[in-house]
Amino acid sequence: MSTIVYAARRIVTMNPDNPFATHVAVRDGRILGAGTLESLSGWGRFDLDEQFRDKVILPGFVEGHSHAYEGGVWKFPYVGFFERTSPDGKRSPGLKSIDEVVAALQVYEKTMPKDGSTLFAWGFDPIYFTGRRMNLGDLDKVSTERPVLVLHSNFHVLNVNTPVFARANITRHTNVHGIVKDDKGEPTGELQENTAKYLAYKAVGIDLSGLLSDEPATWGFARVAQLAGVTTATDLHNTLPDSTVLAYEKATASVDFPLRLLPAFAALAMPPDDGIARVRALRKKNSERLRYGLVKMVTDGSIQGLSARMRWPGYYDGTPNGVWNVGPDEIDRILLAYHRAGFQVHIHTNGDEASEVAIESVERALATAPRWDHRHTLQHAQMADAGQFRRMKALGMCANLFANHIFYWGDVHYARTMGPERAERMDACGTALGLGVPFAIHCDAPVTPIGPLFTAWCAVNRLTASGRVLGTAERISVADALRAITLGAAYTLKLDEELGSIDVGKRADFAILDEDPLAVPPEKLKDVPVWGTMVGGRIFQAPRT
Amino acid sequence: MIPFTVIGGFLGAGKTTLLNRLLAGAAGRRFAVLVNDFGALDIDGKLVAAHGGDTVALANGCLCCTIGDSLVETLLELLERPERFDHIVVEASGVADPARIADIAVLEPQLERDGVIVVVDAAEVQERAADRRVGDTVLRQIKAADLLVLNKIDLADDPAAVHDWLSTQAAAPILEARQADVPIDVLFGLDRYGVAGSKPDQAFRSWSYAWSEPVGREALMAMLSDTKDVLRAKGVVRFADAPDRRSIVHMVGRRIDIGDGGPWTEEESRLVLLGPKPVLGSLQRE
Repeated sequence: MSTIVYAARRIVTMNPDNPFATHVAVRDGRILGAGTLESLSGWGRFDLDEQFRDKVILPGFVEGHSHAYEGGVWKFPYVGFFERTSPDGKRSPGLKSIDEVVAALQVYEKTMPKDGSTLFAWGFDPIYFTGRRMNLGDLDKVSTERPVLVLHSNFHVLNVNTPVFARANITRHTNVHGIVKDDKGEPTGELQENTAKYLAYKAVGIDLSGLLSDEPATWGFARVAQLAGVTTATDLHNTLPDSTVLAYEKATASVDFPLRLLPAFAALAMPPDDGIARVRALRKKNSERLRYGLVKMVTDGSIQGLSARMRWPGYYDGTPNGVWNVGPDEIDRILLAYHRAGFQVHIHTNGDEASEVAIESVERALATAPRWDHRHTLQHAQMADAGQFRRMKALGMCANLFANHIFYWGDVHYARTMGPERAERMDACGTALGLGVPFAIHCDAPVTPIGPLFTAWCAVNRLTASGRVLGTAERISVADALRAITLGAAYTLKLDEELGSIDVGKRADFAILDEDPLAVPPEKLKDVPVWGTMVGGRIFQAPRT
Repeated sequence: MIPFTVIGGFLGAGKTTLLNRLLAGAAGRRFAVLVNDFGALDIDGKLVAAHGGDTVALANGCLCCTIGDSLVETLLELLERPERFDHIVVEASGVADPARIADIAVLEPQLERDGVIVVVDAAEVQERAADRRVGDTVLRQIKAADLLVLNKIDLADDPAAVHDWLSTQAAAPILEARQADVPIDVLFGLDRYGVAGSKPDQAFRSWSYAWSEPVGREALMAMLSDTKDVLRAKGVVRFADAPDRRSIVHMVGRRIDIGDGGPWTEEESRLVLLGPKPVLGSLQRE
């Protein structure tokens, strides 16, 4: 039973009784105490470790809404608009035009064996490109021998080259929704619907969901989280087939696995009775680093994909309302089943009509089956207004707001999807804080990169990619944002008694930073370097490049 | 190629009831049926030949599969099974656009798009269609139909009004039904009316007839049997032997159905024929 006391430049505890400390004592993977060397010396013999004496220690960051696919996508080249860091710490530069994407893919193609194997790339993000869209000809410049597939950053749209169309038998005569055609009726190479995309994958022999959720992908996810100071992360929507469960079990069995992984069961994958039995069975596998029990429901689509369900007056550019993934009556039925069974349900709602339906569904579930401290959480709730937050507060609900959206899509929301007023109050952290709705902020990786300090920066500064400030009234302080990525997120996962602050008895999960996020100017918050993490008392230094 | 049919419609419209009728009346045809939830299917325990997790094999050669997370994936797994099926039928989810699902058959070479059937709850559809949250979803489904089954017609306050309203929403023929009781044969080999997806291959025309005097039943039946190139016929007719009733006439292929549509309230009898070149035999006066 050894005790190690770590000295640090400053320790930010998130414990209001003892907000700052210089030393933290760790025993058996848990926090024995935080304070001064003197105040901790009464616990008996200890070893003093001073390797962090120049570092700043925070509670390990908790990412309440991410997907483990983030670890799997790095098996493939990244071709996005924004710079991004891979699990091994390598930075991929942002690609600012179609030509740059094509050039990068040509370079990558030369490294592949000459066997006609498929080139798959991801993260393509043309939203800030002006002019034409990517087409078959662009990707034919990469290769006319092997299939080339480029998945967009929204994970919905796919661009392919001519060999893919040849194998999938797609021609000008293929009349299917989602196969984009030009004025002359020729398919352009862009596929926008699941059916068309799935058959393209099948034609070239790619099993994307399998590739993205195997054991190496799970490790990749933990590493990319670790680089960002994250010690606990959700995999917030997974049908959890046996192959994935096995991969998670194997990866998390290793003490070197640097993450507590929380998979959320995709409630729509099977009827509720079967789903409830499935999650109960999975819970028996829970360990220190793998926690089943979360349940996720997806109600609508995405705002930038124009598939979110909006209340009147709908989309700013007049696009018809989005689509229900599951209708209001079914939301009631499924939510009630999991609610009765005692589960906490995380409900994806992007548009404000979806939020409204989900809130009313929780209200009905509570009327039918009263329950305390359910903490049902709206995930995204990007368009929720003050009235909806008041209802959430009254019902005991939480919100996990998609702060990264302000930077990545804020300009699009302002100009096209929501219009100025609603864009200025999107992801309303200030309102949630003011009304006392427990909230977290998130990245939805791999939709945007995992990086809680960046996410906190978004909530604090509310800057879009073009530099517009989107809604000064909804800004929150750095201290409040740091709470949202630690204790706030832990609360939305019902883990706030075990994680999220540096306090006696909690897990020794730390984010170890090179600078003090409370001391740097707020606009520099995203640039605070992460040295590494501690998970359950084990140190994981981030690779340096 | 295996014919592929999608059954769409909002929650509670009667999709599962229709599927139950299909399975019960398979009569030697091997259906593979993909559903959202077995639990709702009325599968007679005595008829179950094998039960294997996501599938139930029936003694009559039919197979039921639950869809799970990905319809396309489930469907492609089904096509990889060694057994061959005469027809694949998918039950769309209550909010899905069935036309999108039917697109699978356009892309997958082993499948042939047979049609989209949308089941509509006569008692509730108008209220649903006016609902600000689900109205657009309901109307999208209706417009996607190649055949509309206007179900629970017995529960509608004003069946004729619902029928008329529905006919203004979509081009597809409308079959009225109670408890989804429709002749199974009319469900297959549908012509393309649904607006989503591609255009119909052949243009069709519609011809309409009107009679102010009551019409002889035998004469009308003879006339309809005489038609050529008529794909569908529908109408509201005042028969001489039932002058105070609205008789609803449907012809699908060679099959003629006559149902009762309540008391006679119309100005005249009307009959509409649809087809590439509908030619009506002459109506012999009695």
